[in-house]
Amino acid sequence: MESLVEFAIDSAGNMGVEYAEARLQMDFRESIIMKNGILEASAFEEQRGLGVRVLVDGSLGFASTNVLRRRNVEEALRKAFNMAKSASKVMRRKIAMGKGDLGSDRVEVKPRVNFLNVDLDSRVSLLREADEQAIAAASLRDVKVPARMVSLDTWITEKFIMTSDGANIRSVIPRVALFAFLTVFHPQKGPVQRYFNLGETGGWEVAERWNLPKLFYEETYALSNILLEAVKPPEGEMDVVLGPEVVGIVSHESCGHPSEADRILGREAAQAGETFLKLDSIGLRVGSPKVNVADDPTLKGSFGFYLYDEEGVKARRRILIKEGVVNEFLHNRETASVFGVESNGASRSVAYNREPIVRMANTFFMPGDYSKEELFEDIKEGIYIKNFMEWNIDDRRFNQRYVGLEAYKIENGELKSLVRNPVLEITTVGLWSAVDAAGKDLEFQAAYCGKGDPMQGIPVWTGGPHIRLRRVKIGSA
Amino acid sequence: MAAHKIKLEEIPSYVVDLGKREGATDVSAALTESRRVMIRFSNNEITVSKLFLDIMLDIFVMVEKHRAVTSISTISRRSIEKAVKNVVRIAKATPPADVYAPLPQGPFIYDPNLLKAPKVPLDPDTLTAYVESAIKGALEKGAERAAGTLNAYRSRMHLATSGDVHASQEKSGLEISVRAFVSEFATGHAVSIASKPEDLNPEETGMRAGEIARAAANPKPGESGRYMALLGPMVFADFVNQVGSLSSAFLVDAGQSFLIDKIGLEVASKKFTLIDDPTLAGTLGARAFDDEGVPTRRKSIIEQGVLKTYLHNSLTAKKFGVETTGNAGIIVPHPWNLIVEPGSKSVDKLIAEVDEGIYVTNDWYLRYQNYRTGDFSTIPRDGMFQIKRGEIAASIRELRISDNMLRILQNIIDLSISRMWIKWWEVEIPTLTPYALISELNFTKSRM
Repeated sequence: MESLVEFAIDSAGNMGVEYAEARLQMDFRESIIMKNGILEASAFEEQRGLGVRVLVDGSLGFASTNVLRRRNVEEALRKAFNMAKSASKVMRRKIAMGKGDLGSDRVEVKPRVNFLNVDLDSRVSLLREADEQAIAAASLRDVKVPARMVSLDTWITEKFIMTSDGANIRSVIPRVALFAFLTVFHPQKGPVQRYFNLGETGGWEVAERWNLPKLFYEETYALSNILLEAVKPPEGEMDVVLGPEVVGIVSHESCGHPSEADRILGREAAQAGETFLKLDSIGLRVGSPKVNVADDPTLKGSFGFYLYDEEGVKARRRILIKEGVVNEFLHNRETASVFGVESNGASRSVAYNREPIVRMANTFFMPGDYSKEELFEDIKEGIYIKNFMEWNIDDRRFNQRYVGLEAYKIENGELKSLVRNPVLEITTVGLWSAVDAAGKDLEFQAAYCGKGDPMQGIPVWTGGPHIRLRRVKIGSA
Repeated sequence: MAAHKIKLEEIPSYVVDLGKREGATDVSAALTESRRVMIRFSNNEITVSKLFLDIMLDIFVMVEKHRAVTSISTISRRSIEKAVKNVVRIAKATPPADVYAPLPQGPFIYDPNLLKAPKVPLDPDTLTAYVESAIKGALEKGAERAAGTLNAYRSRMHLATSGDVHASQEKSGLEISVRAFVSEFATGHAVSIASKPEDLNPEETGMRAGEIARAAANPKPGESGRYMALLGPMVFADFVNQVGSLSSAFLVDAGQSFLIDKIGLEVASKKFTLIDDPTLAGTLGARAFDDEGVPTRRKSIIEQGVLKTYLHNSLTAKKFGVETTGNAGIIVPHPWNLIVEPGSKSVDKLIAEVDEGIYVTNDWYLRYQNYRTGDFSTIPRDGMFQIKRGEIAASIRELRISDNMLRILQNIIDLSISRMWIKWWEVEIPTLTPYALISELNFTKSRM
């Protein structure tokens, strides 16, 4: 099978392309879906195919096929070539592939507990116990959990990537992911909902470590408290502490996405949009000196883990905002060429039949030096937003809204009553500029980042410590 | 006999026989061959041309209440046999679901007009010319630059089920999406979808995007508050996609719908009728049969404001005590082709009736605080205009729609007589929709 990759690169060379890249990718996924305690279905999926990208006269063509025979690969390649050639006739600005630290390597994450050794019963039992704990927690507060959706996925991604300029990367990455959607309900109070994702690179040991029954108990108990106790939040200007889950999404949306070089160049303009950052924004102050945001694919165990990107470029940590100043963008080789820099290994693709594009991996606010207590102690009146449900951000990545779910009033440094749906609706620069302290703690959440056309929901971590914002305006939904 | 020597269309029946032999009570198998070309462009240039050649086999089995699904991309005798054995074995090991509904028993009679699809061009020169034409249209109307996507596709799905279904469905389509930029803050977006090349007009699509962008020049910051709002077809299609998708019985049961417990109730203004109609031959959402082989049919989801039905497959139908609506999704039922009944007034007349309001041409990034209550927000993008005393008065920017889906449905004041088909990156289900006039729509903005 791997010989097809070499065949594709050799054939592309014979066609006279400027650059070629071939990726054989196999994703094998096993899933179970439980709704309201009933197993809806077990599923397994095998997706295997080859994607090729060629640069012809400054024009980029991509083709994929899952019929893994030489003649089908050759057909895909020839069509990619012809499409690129056709487009090149009307292109005024030519595309080029910039430099990058190309690798020749094999990366394998070895699971401690292989998925093959985990039978269906073990998977189902784990979810069933978690489901039962959710109901038990709600019953303590005399509320119901009428709707519970949980899915548990294990999957292995194997890739073999070659480029015409020498990259040669094999990788085997196992992942575990959980999605949960919970509704708690009381006839007089109505519903409150939360969903969350867990995801890591590793074997079944990851799922065992999550302790899902305990997590579901805690999540549902917290939701029940919100339903029964949360009051309208104070509104107006106040100090706010954001928990790691909120800090993670802010870092992803308001730093990671704006820093994607393809967005800066307008390549996503008709889909996910552009960014308020420009080609010359390196060095621009966008926040207080307490703001440091990184994206790092190399974090062991992370959901967005990889050591070489889809162009064979070695991955490394990228410091996107350093002490409040824009420090680095996320690049693939195409954008690196335009910016006159080296690729920093941000080219990712979610499947064999998807074009590699600039993506985040694990984006997080870097920890500061405050204890959690220190962050709260001098707040006279404020809000602590631990997690959220609703959020969005405009297509310039400048106006965002986060609506808190589990959130508390802070009075004289202490957490007081739960408040319902506090709204932080603020500009990116407004938010980052208000940060005056970051905690020492660091937590990550899993997510699927959506970008591209066709859409590619790619595994990432978002994360950070608790951070404190001074004098920001809070509203209520 | 090697499976590659069986005709592709015969593989699903082969899978059904294998599955039954392995002990499944019910089997469905769908083999889809698809060929799709996508050309993306930005800054008036093609950025990439993509081709996707796929053959996928989806298999669903039940051993009475025990269910399992699989999907494989390697189509060989060995891999098919292995997959069938595995999926039946896993189904047997899967704990029972709460209901068992045998796959619907055919054979069924399908509308032959819905089984075939027109030919669409996939050759690079024709498609590149469409893109050039779209960019030209946008620039002609004053845009500085244009970005977008052209999609052209053909597929054929062969379905067999243990309910004596053996059928093939063709699909094809052309879609172009153009976003025009006069400046960073002055943009316009337009789309065009067609099942036949003669119905796609890339240049006119580019021109519409360019016109909105030019009209949106020099926007001033909008002010938050509740306004009478005119929602253009792209925005209303997004909202209607929400209503259509969340009318899936599966999602209702999962707590992910504001339509829960509302069958027979007034959930919208009497002006609002929403239909799922896969029987409209020549439209992108046309389908002769659903994933269980049941003939599709036209149905009102909401009729004159009253919620008439959820969307069902045979499993959700049994659970809810009703008949399937022909909307399988094996696990999750979904709409095929959404149609909003038109109103009686022109768009100009609707604008003329607004004393003070906002016209929104596009939106994206819709997220819920609570699916069950319908509380959500979404971000208007591209041209957004202040309406004063019945006329477009100014271009405005940076507002957010923060409201409740049920309240919006109930606040539909009127709908335009003209309608447009919408499908693009943000609106997945083909939707024919008018402009909608909504009272008291809540707009918010960043506060610092």
